[in-house]
Amino acid sequence: MTYDFVEPVVFALLSIGLIAGGVAVVMLNRITAAALLMAFTFLCMAGMFVLLGAETIALFQVLIYVGAITVLILYGVMFTRFSDRPRALFFQRQTPLAAVFVAAVAIPVAIVALSFTSPTPRPGGGDLVPLATSVFTDFAFPFEIASVLLLAAMVGAIVLTKRDDPGESALRRRR
Amino acid sequence: MTVPLGAYVVVSTVLFFIGCAGVLVRRNAVVILMCVELMLNAANLALVAFSRKYGSIDERGSVFVIFVFVIAAAEVAVGLGIVLSAYRNRPVVNVDEIHQMKG
Repeated sequence: MTYDFVEPVVFALLSIGLIAGGVAVVMLNRITAAALLMAFTFLCMAGMFVLLGAETIALFQVLIYVGAITVLILYGVMFTRFSDRPRALFFQRQTPLAAVFVAAVAIPVAIVALSFTSPTPRPGGGDLVPLATSVFTDFAFPFEIASVLLLAAMVGAIVLTKRDDPGESALRRRR
Repeated sequence: MTVPLGAYVVVSTVLFFIGCAGVLVRRNAVVILMCVELMLNAANLALVAFSRKYGSIDERGSVFVIFVFVIAAAEVAVGLGIVLSAYRNRPVVNVDEIHQMKG
């Protein structure tokens, strides 16, 4: 007995999780629930990467997206007030026009997407060694540029959120 | 049987357009950031799928996913910084009410 049916079943479950999570992020009014469902969507995406055989990418996905970005977004939710008008653009007069436009974009995209076929099955094995080889040989310079970008983003975030309170700085000077 | 490449591309496309609709429809700046993350993730899925099914043995496509991770982390940090500093000036998070920078 073979287990050939496992991969399509897992793929279907993960796709349902991804699409349902994405729709919930867009539709839900409670922002905290939307953020947690976004984390669920990221977890489903990590499962997708495992299914594709890219375990290292799945590990980074869990670490960076589920760990760091979700927590950061939750802090952003906590620091801002709940907004009264969650959605716009729904039920407007342009709906038929928008439907025509969506069909004109979606049908060619779907045709092109379904026309891809897998040429040959790849040999098994992890992706850590080829990934690391590529990053540290051919892509070493973009890798360093990415680290500079992260440093710039960190400094920028600190500068943007730094509080310039004259009373507080006077208090600090007196201390 | 293995899952064909087209199925991954279809899921990636659907998720990308869900995120795109969220960016256009929602008005909360934090939710818009979340929807941008969804779009980046959908692009990651397409990159990894093509890299694993089509690509050469050295995983060129997956390298770009690493860089997308870096860009996404930087974008969320700076984006939330902008949202929080705008929110401190005037406590609104609706993007159509934030128009101090309009020329």
